[in-house]
Amino acid sequence: MSYKNQQTLGVGAFLFVVFILIPWLIHVSGRWDFYYTLTSVALLSIASGGVWLTFYIGRINIGQGAFALAGGYVSAILVVKYGVSFWLTIPLAGLFCAVAAVLIGLPILRLRGVYFAMITLVLTEVARLTALALPITNGARGISSIPLPGELSIFGLTIIPDFSTIENVKLAFYYVAAVLMVASFAALYRIVNSRIGHLCRSLQQNEELASSIGVNTAYLRVIAYAISSFMGGISGAIFVAISRSIYPASFPVKDSIDFMLNCFLGGLGYVFGPMLGTLVIYFGWDVLFTTGKYQLLIYSSVLILLMLFLPNGILSLRLPGRKGVRK
Amino acid sequence: MFKRRNFIKSVAIVAMTTTSMLAAGLSGALAANEILKIGFVGVTSGPAAAWGISNARSMQARAAWINETGGVKIGDVTYDVEIVTFDDQKDPKRAIAGFEKMAQEGIHYVVGPNVDDGAAAVRPVAEQNNIIYFPYAFPKALYTAPASNAVLGMVANYQSGPAIYKYLMESKGVKKVAFVAANESDPLSQREGGVAAAKALGLDVVSDNVTYQVDTTDFTPVLTPVMRTKPDLLVLSGVAPANAPQLIRAARELGYQGLISTETAQDASVLQEGAGELANGFISVGGASTPEIATDAMKEFVDRYTKMFGEYNDESNTKVYALEYILETMKANPASKDDVAEFKKTIDTLSVPNIYMKGDAKLQYVGSTSFGQKRQLAVPMVVNEYKDGKFETLFIAQVD
Amino acid sequence: MEQVLANGAYLGAQYALIALGLTLIFALMNVLNFAHGQMYVIGGFVTYTVYAQIGLPFVVGLAASAVTLAIVGALIEKFLFRPVIKKSVREESTMLLAAGIAFFLDAIILLVFGEKQRGVPKIINGVFNYNDFTMVMPYDKILVGFLAIASIIIFILYMQYSKTGRAMRALAQDKVAAQLMGVDVDKYSMIGFALGAMLAGVVGGLLVTVTGINLGMGGPTSIKAFMMVMIGGAGVISGAIAGGFILGMMEAVGLSVLAAYGDITYLAIFVSLMVFLAIRPQGLMGKPWG
Repeated sequence: MSYKNQQTLGVGAFLFVVFILIPWLIHVSGRWDFYYTLTSVALLSIASGGVWLTFYIGRINIGQGAFALAGGYVSAILVVKYGVSFWLTIPLAGLFCAVAAVLIGLPILRLRGVYFAMITLVLTEVARLTALALPITNGARGISSIPLPGELSIFGLTIIPDFSTIENVKLAFYYVAAVLMVASFAALYRIVNSRIGHLCRSLQQNEELASSIGVNTAYLRVIAYAISSFMGGISGAIFVAISRSIYPASFPVKDSIDFMLNCFLGGLGYVFGPMLGTLVIYFGWDVLFTTGKYQLLIYSSVLILLMLFLPNGILSLRLPGRKGVRK
Repeated sequence: MFKRRNFIKSVAIVAMTTTSMLAAGLSGALAANEILKIGFVGVTSGPAAAWGISNARSMQARAAWINETGGVKIGDVTYDVEIVTFDDQKDPKRAIAGFEKMAQEGIHYVVGPNVDDGAAAVRPVAEQNNIIYFPYAFPKALYTAPASNAVLGMVANYQSGPAIYKYLMESKGVKKVAFVAANESDPLSQREGGVAAAKALGLDVVSDNVTYQVDTTDFTPVLTPVMRTKPDLLVLSGVAPANAPQLIRAARELGYQGLISTETAQDASVLQEGAGELANGFISVGGASTPEIATDAMKEFVDRYTKMFGEYNDESNTKVYALEYILETMKANPASKDDVAEFKKTIDTLSVPNIYMKGDAKLQYVGSTSFGQKRQLAVPMVVNEYKDGKFETLFIAQVD
Repeated sequence: MEQVLANGAYLGAQYALIALGLTLIFALMNVLNFAHGQMYVIGGFVTYTVYAQIGLPFVVGLAASAVTLAIVGALIEKFLFRPVIKKSVREESTMLLAAGIAFFLDAIILLVFGEKQRGVPKIINGVFNYNDFTMVMPYDKILVGFLAIASIIIFILYMQYSKTGRAMRALAQDKVAAQLMGVDVDKYSMIGFALGAMLAGVVGGLLVTVTGINLGMGGPTSIKAFMMVMIGGAGVISGAIAGGFILGMMEAVGLSVLAAYGDITYLAIFVSLMVFLAIRPQGLMGKPWG
C-alpha cells in the first residue's frame, strides 16, 4: 500500500472512531459521563495544539491559559451584554486572542528558552488579575447564567439548531468540540507541511542561521504565536458555553502548565501528539477518581514512569517505517 | 536494544492499565444492606485541600458511624451509606466532570463544590441530570429562582457579617473598620458583601482595597498600609485557614491593638501553632462542636472523626450537617430518594430535631429572607472568640 | 518608609535563598525544577516534625531538613533526571518529568503530613521596635533574615573556593570543556542537584518558624522562584540573589505605594516584570538566551 493510501485510511479510521464509534460505544455502554470528559479532551487538545505550534518554532509556551481565559470572556461578554450569537463569538474570540498575541508577542517573542517560558507563565497570572480588576468582566463575581447557544442558520437554512431545543445537549457539545478539533488539527497538519512549516522548523533548529538565509524570523514567530493563541481562544469560548459561566480562575496557571505537559507527553515531534497527550493526562485523572486519596500519587507515578521510558512522548512508540513529522 | 525498549514500553502500559482496573474493582466492596450513594465533589488536593478534605472526612466519618450502627432506614429499606468523592482540584472544568461522574453513578445528592466558580459551573449539569447539590459558595444567584437545585450548606458571610459587626459595635464600641482579602473571587466577593454590611450599619470603612496573593509568605508589607488607617476592627474577608494565623501575627507585630474577625470557619490548633497567644481575641464563625451547644452525639462524632483520621479539624463543624439533612429529608419522604422533585417538596416542610445541638433546635431548610425560597440549611451560627488554643462562644444566632 | 525597606529586606533575604537552589540546578543541568517549591515544603514539614512534634532543638530540625532534602535531591537526579536527559531528543522534555515529580511530592506531602497549616513555637519572642513604631520587626524574623544571609554567604564561599564548587562552576560555564578537563559530569550534577534541593530544605526549615507551612505552598513558591531567577538572569548565582532582593523590594514598595489603588498592586508588579524582561531579555546579569 502506498504511503498516501495508508494516510487516507488512517484519517478515515480516525474520523470513524471520533464521530461514529465513540458515540455508539457510549450509547451501548450507557457511560454518558464520558461525553463531557471527551468533549473536554477535544477542547483542551485544541488549546494544546496551539501550544505545540509554539514549541514547533522553538518556544516553550506556558501561557495558553491566558488566551483560553480571554477567549472565554470575549464570548461571554458578547453573548450576555451584546446579544451576539454564540456561534459568531467563537471566531471573534479567536481573533481577539490572535490580535492580543501579536501585540504581546512582538516584544516577548524575542526571548528564548526558559525566559520565554517564564514570561508566558506570568502572563497567565496577569490575565487572571486583569479579569479580577476590569469592570467589563464583572470582576470577582464572574459572569454566570450565560444562555445556551442559539440557532445557527445561513439564508434561513438551519445548520445548527437552538441548543435549548436539543434533547441531548451533551452529544451536541461533543460533536461541536470534535468537529473543531478535527478542523484545528487538519489546519495544524497543513501548516506544518507547508512552506511556512518548513521555515518554522528551521527556526526551531537555528534562528540565526534561518535569519541569515533570508527567513523573516520575527514575522514567522508572531504568525505562529497568533495562530496558537487563536486556538486557545476558541477552546476557551466553547468551555464557557458548556459551564455557562466564567470566572477569573476558570483557566488557572495549572491549565497553562497542563497544556504544555500534554504536548510533551504526546511527543513534540508529532502533530497529533498534543491530542494523545491530552487524552492520557485528562482521561487518566478522570479514570483514577475511584482510587480516592491515592489518586494524585498514582497519577504522578504514571507520569514519571511514562517519562522514564518514553522521554520523547508516547507517539515515539510507533511502528518502525512509518515516520511522522519529525523535528 | 530496540526490542528490549519496546518490551519495557509495553510492560509500562500494561502495568498502567491493570493498576487502574484493579483500583476500579476494589472500590466495589461488599455490604449486607443495600447501598445508598451520596456524592462529594470538591477540592481535596492543592493549596485549598483543607476545605474539601475536612468536608469529605466529616461525611465519611458520619457514614461509617451510621453503617456501624445498622444503617439508615428510608421507607421500608435499610441502607448503608457510601460516600463517593471526586477531587475537582478547585478547577470548575473538573467540577463539571465530577458531577457527570456522580450522575453516572446514579447519585442525585452531592455535597460541594467548595468555591464560587465551581458552584456556578456545575449548575447546568446538575439541572440536566437532576442533581441537588450543597455548595459552600455564597453567590445569591445560585439559590434564588429560577435556580432551584442548589442548597447553601452553611451560613453566608452576608448573613453572619452584619450580626458580628453589630455585636462588636454595641459591646466593644467599634467605629472604624478595615477589610483585607486575597485577590481571588470568593474572598473579594465576601469583602464586597462585608463592606456593604458595615456601611449599612453606619460603620466608618477606613480601608477596603488592600489585597494579597494567597501564596504570600510575609504579610507585614500587606498590612503596613492598612495599619496606618488605624481601624478598631480588622476584617479578614474569606480568609483561608492557612493565611489567618500569619495575618493575625503580622498585624499584632505591627503593633495593632484592635479587634480582628472573619466570617469563615477556622481551626483552633492551626491558630495555636501559627500565631500562639497573638491569636487571642480573634473572632470567627464556628459550628456545632462548641461546648455550650454540643450534644453527646456531637462529641461522639468528633471522637469518631479523630479516631478515623488521626486529628479533628474544627472546620468540619459547619460541614457535618449536609449529609444529615439529605438523609433526614429522605427519611421524611422516601420517594425523594431518587426523585429530586419530591425532595424539593419536602424541603419546604422538613422539621426534625437537631441531634448535634442542645435545646430544641430543628433541622429545617431556611433562606427565605436572603433567596426568596428555602435553599439553605439551618445550621447554628456560632460566633467564637479564640482563647489559648480553644474557641469560646461569644453568641449564637439563627438564619431565617 | 523605614518599615517598607525593612519589609523588603527581610522578604528579599528569604527569596534570594529560595532562588539560589533553583538557579544552581538550572545552571548545571539546564533543568527548570518545577518541584523546587515542593522540596521547600518538605523541608518545612521535616523541621516541624523534629522541632515541634518530637521536641528536639530547632538546629537539629534544620539539619534534618537539609540532610533529608539533600538525599531526596541526589536520588531524584540519579534515578530520574539523569536517564531522561540522556534519552530525550529535546532537553525541554525534563519539564514534564519535573512537573510529574512536583505532583508526586505533593501527593506524598498530603499523605504523610496532612492537609492542615502547620507552625512551630517561636524561636525567639519579642519585637524590635525602632522609634515608636516607625519601624517594627520581630526578633525571630531578624534572626531568620540573618541566617538566610549567612547561608547565602557560606554558599558563595563554598562555590568560590572549594574543589567541588569550582568543578560545578566549570560545569555551568561550559559542560564540554569541563568534561575535557576531567570533571566528572555525572558526579557533580548529582552533588549540584543535592545541594540545590538542600538549599530549598534549609529555607523551608527557616521559614516554618515565621510563616508556617502547608501543602499548598509548593507550586506558588516554585513560580515565585522562577520570577526571581528571571529577573537576575537564569543560571547566574549573583543574579538569583539580586533577583530575590529586587522582587522582595518590589513587593514591599509596591504594596505600600500602590495601596491606594488596591486590587491592581500585583497586576502592576507582574506587568512591570514582563516589561522589564521584554526590554532586557537576559535579565540583569544572565547569559543572553540562557
